[in-house]
Amino acid sequence: MPDFLDFMERATTGQILAENDYYLKVLIPNVTKVVREFGIRYDPANPVSSDDELADRLFEAAVEFVTRTGIYCGATNRVIEVGRDELLQAVENLPDGSTFGEGRDRRRFRARRPGDERPPWCHVGTGIVASSEEIATAQVEGYGGIPQASSISIPAFGRVRGMHVVGGSPLEIYATIGSVQAGRRALGRAGRPGLPILNLISSATTSMATIAGTHPDFGLRPSDGWLIDFLAEMKVDFETLNRLAFVHVTGGNVGSTALPILGGYAGGAEGTALVMTAYYLLGILLFRGAYHLTGPVHFRHGCSTTRDGLWVMSVAGRAASHNTRYPAIGLAYAAAGPCTKEYFYEAAAANLCCVASGYAGVQTVHPAKAVIEDGVTPLEALFNVEMAYAAAGVSSERASELVNRFLQKYEDIIGEAPKGKRYQECYDLRTGKPSEEYVRLHEEIKEELTQMGVSFRF
Amino acid sequence: MDKTQILENLAHAAIEGDEDLARESAEQALSNQIDPLEAVEQGLSKGMAVVGARFESGEAFLPELLMAAGAFDAAMEILQPEIEAQKKEITKLGTVLIGTVKGDVHSIGKNVVATVLGTSGFDVVDIGVDNATLDIIQEAKKAKADVIALSSLMTTTMPAQREVIEVLEEMSLRDKFLVMVGGGPVNQEWADEIGADGYGKSAVQAAEVARRLLGREG
Ligand code: B12
Repeated sequence: MPDFLDFMERATTGQILAENDYYLKVLIPNVTKVVREFGIRYDPANPVSSDDELADRLFEAAVEFVTRTGIYCGATNRVIEVGRDELLQAVENLPDGSTFGEGRDRRRFRARRPGDERPPWCHVGTGIVASSEEIATAQVEGYGGIPQASSISIPAFGRVRGMHVVGGSPLEIYATIGSVQAGRRALGRAGRPGLPILNLISSATTSMATIAGTHPDFGLRPSDGWLIDFLAEMKVDFETLNRLAFVHVTGGNVGSTALPILGGYAGGAEGTALVMTAYYLLGILLFRGAYHLTGPVHFRHGCSTTRDGLWVMSVAGRAASHNTRYPAIGLAYAAAGPCTKEYFYEAAAANLCCVASGYAGVQTVHPAKAVIEDGVTPLEALFNVEMAYAAAGVSSERASELVNRFLQKYEDIIGEAPKGKRYQECYDLRTGKPSEEYVRLHEEIKEELTQMGVSFRF
Repeated sequence: MDKTQILENLAHAAIEGDEDLARESAEQALSNQIDPLEAVEQGLSKGMAVVGARFESGEAFLPELLMAAGAFDAAMEILQPEIEAQKKEITKLGTVLIGTVKGDVHSIGKNVVATVLGTSGFDVVDIGVDNATLDIIQEAKKAKADVIALSSLMTTTMPAQREVIEVLEEMSLRDKFLVMVGGGPVNQEWADEIGADGYGKSAVQAAEVARRLLGREG
C-alpha cells in the first residue's frame, strides 16, 4: 500500500491541470456521470435514509468516483491519482477503532452501525472563537462538567492582549499555544485533565501555528486529535500536507476532516453525498486517519440542518458505517444560535439523523454557523449529549419520522434564523451557570420533545 | 438555419452549459451575418439570465452556473473579435477586482460571487485567495478596477479587510475605488465600522450592491 511519501511523489508527477479545469473538466462531469451510473437519488420525504442498498451503492460509487477523479493538489497544480485496489485494501486494513485521552478519560473510539443500541462518542464543544481567555476557560470548564463527554473541542482566541489575532502572524502563535494551555487548565479544574482535545487547535489557521501548538511542553499530546482538512472539493495543498507530514512523523491521531458544500462544486444532494463518501476513503488511504469528522454545509444557508443536508448526512454516514470500520464524528452546523428554540430543534434533528445512521460519534451542533464570537455555551453541548443518548437504538425509519416533525418547526425560517445570545448574555460569568431564562427554555424544549416521542435517558 | 433558431441555440447552450453547441452556434451566427452584439444580448445573455434565476431560486447549483459561464466564454471567444472589428462595445457595468484577504484560503464563496458578478455583466478580475493588502491594491490599480471586493471567512482574517481600507487611505487612493466586503462572519455593522462602501450577504446581493455602488440600478 502506498504511504505518505508515495502520495507526495504523485503530487509532484501527476497530470498537470489548472484548478478551474480540474473542476470543470474532471470533477463536475465525473460527479454527474457517477451519480447517474449508480442510481443515487435524493429522497426528500425521508431526511434520514434507511435504504441499505442505496448506502452500499453510494459506497461503490464513491470508490469509482475517487478512482476516476483523483484528488487535486493546489500547490503543484497536479492531480494525485488513486487506485481502486489500494483504496479497498486500505479499507480492509483499518484497525478496529482508535484510542484517545489519558487516565480515567482514556477510551477507545469504535465504529457504530445504523440503529446501534450503544450510545455514540460525544465530542462536545465547538471550535468557535472566544473574545477572551476568561470566556474560553468558562466554556471549556462547562464542557468538562458533562460526564458523558468523550472528547472536547476548545475555542480559539480571537484576541491577544487586546489585539485582533491575524492568521499567519506571531499573534497566532501566542493564541494557539494559549488556547491549548487554557483548555487544559480548564479541564483540570473540571476534574477531567485526561479528556482528549480533538479539534487540533482552532486558533491555528496555518500549519506553522499547528506545529507550534503541538510543542510537548505547551500543546497537544499524541493521545489528542489533529483535525486536518480537505479543501472543498477534492483538493489538498501544502498547508494540508505539511500538517499531515508533521503528525505522521511525530505520531498522533489524524482526524481527516471534510465539510463538503451542498450546492457547491459537487452540485445538489446526490453529488454532495457522493463526495462526502469519497472523503472517507481518502481519509483512510491518503491521510491514514484515526478518525473522520464530516458534515455537509449548505452553500446558501451555511448550515447542515436543511432537509437535503440531513439526507446527505444520513446516506453518506450509512454508506461508510456499512462498509468500513472508520470511526466518524458527524458535525452539523445550525442556522440558529444559543438560547433559541430553533437551535434546539435543529440540534435534535441532527443528532437523531447521525446517531440512527450509524455515525460512531456526534459533535455538538455548531450554533449560528459558528461565526459569532463568544456565540456558544455549555448548555448546547449538554443538550446535544442528552439528545445523542436518546437517539441510540432508534431505527432510521423512526428517526426520519421525528426529524420530519422537527423540520416543520424550522425549515421555513432557516434563512432568517435567530442569531441567539452570546455566552455573556445567557451565562453568569461569575458562577459559570446558565441564566434562568436559558434553563427554562431547555426544560421546556425537553418536555416538548418528549411529548413528540423522544425518550431522554437523563 | 434561421436567426431565431441560432439565437435560441445560443441561449440553450448557456442553459445546458454546452461549450460545443455554444461555439458552433457562435460560428453560425457569424456566417449568417447576425450582428454579434445581438447574438450576445438576444442569445447567450438570455440563457445566462435563465441560469442566474434558477441559481437564485435554489433550483440550480454552482456546477450549472460554472458550466453556463464556460459556454458563455467559449462563444465569446468567437464573437468578441468580430464585435471589436465592428467597433462595437458590449455595455459593461464596470470592473470588479475580487479576492480573499491575507491568511484566508476559503475560496468557494468568493468564487460564487466572482461567477455571479461575471454573468451579471461586470468585468471580473479574480486574484484568488490569501492576498496581501498591498498586492490587492496593486492589482486593483493594474486592473483599473472600479470596485474592490474582499472576501473573508474567518474572524481572524476580517481585520485584513479593514487594513485594505486603511492602506488605501494612507496611499491617498481611497477615493479611487469602491470597497465591498463579504463572507461568513462579515455583516453590515462590520462594513460600517471599517468604512466599507458596501456589504453583501450572498452572491446575488453582491451583484446588486455592486450595481448600486456604480449607479447602475435597474
Ligand atoms: C468549507 C470550509 C473550509 C474549507 C474551505 C475550502 C475552500 N476551498 O474554500 C477548508 C477545509 C479548507 C477550511 C479551512 C479552515 N477553516 Co473553514 N470553513 C468552511 C465552512 C464549513 C464553509 C465555508 C463555505 O465555503 N461556505 C459556503 C460559501 C458559499 O459561503 P460563504 O463563503 O459565506 O460565501 C457566501 C457569502 O458569504 C457571500 N460572500 C462571500 N465572499 C464575499 C465577498 C463579497 C465582497 C461579498 C459582497 C459577498 C461575499 O457570498 C457567498 C455566496 O452566497 C465554514 C463554516 C461556515 N458555516 O461558514 C468554516 C469556517 C469558515 N472555517 C473555520 C476555520 C477555523 C478554518 C481553519 C482555520 C481550520 C483549521 N484550523 O485548519 C482553516 C483555515 C485555513 C485558512 N488559513 O484559511 C471557521 C472560522 C472561525 C472563525 N475564526 O471565524 C469556520 C466558521 C468553521 C467553524 N467555526 O467551525 N474551511
